[in-house]
Amino acid sequence: MHVDVFQTLADPTRLRIIEALKGGEHAVNDLVDRVDIHQSGVSRHLRILQEAGFVQVRPEGTKRLYSLCPEPFQELDAWVTGYRQLWEGRLDRFGEELERRQKARVASRKKEDTP
Amino acid sequence: MTTHPQAAPQRSITFERTYPASLDEVWELWTTKDGIESWWGPEGFTVTVHQMDLRPGGLLRYAMTATAPEQVAGMKQAGLPLSSEVQVTYTDVTPPRRLAYTHRVDFIQGVTPYDVSTVVELQPSGQGVRMSVTSDAMHNEEWSKRASMGMESQLGRLAKRLQR
Repeated sequence: MHVDVFQTLADPTRLRIIEALKGGEHAVNDLVDRVDIHQSGVSRHLRILQEAGFVQVRPEGTKRLYSLCPEPFQELDAWVTGYRQLWEGRLDRFGEELERRQKARVASRKKEDTP
Repeated sequence: MTTHPQAAPQRSITFERTYPASLDEVWELWTTKDGIESWWGPEGFTVTVHQMDLRPGGLLRYAMTATAPEQVAGMKQAGLPLSSEVQVTYTDVTPPRRLAYTHRVDFIQGVTPYDVSTVVELQPSGQGVRMSVTSDAMHNEEWSKRASMGMESQLGRLAKRLQR
């Protein structure tokens, strides 16, 4: 897990840019309209997103088109899923062990009762 | 399945389960050597408790060793040792209702070590015990809020769509 993945997503403006890019690629000007902040702000956040591997850019004519890269999202997804699975596995085993102990207790009580 | 991810409190994820057992039975699984060793896992790993000093400020020290073939192979492939030592510090011990501990995360490269705290709360519920485990593992408020709201499944779908 890279902590910069978390730090990159911690910023609300960057999250809005990511939301806007979910639908497909956009030029900076489109994003300025959609995210509703100043162009210099959008450009700065796009650069941060690009450096963190969330966003890629390609030229088309005079425009530069931005789109999302799958890798950091896959990484985050795997990390959160793994964490949840670890606890769910643990709590399943916890329940099984409780049941096993209760059965063992009942069995030893029966044994004591038998003359 | 009775696990409910919850949005509150922030910085945390809560797991809840109800077991048909007594408070003491549930407490015992959290607070004895053989209790912890029987379920702490993870799957395919054996846990051996070396020290359990059950009081605020006291330590739980254990070794976690890959024992199942799949996990042994996985650790080898990742270039990781099969066994690692883990240390946990108890912060609240109130039998048989509440147990809290912190765990120092100092193994992520390039990240300043930080503490993850976990709180276990037990309540009688009908014929059994309701157990909630709350952990602030996400080390980022905004992110954990999203994660606990089910953002991870959205992310999974997004990742798949982007993969094309």
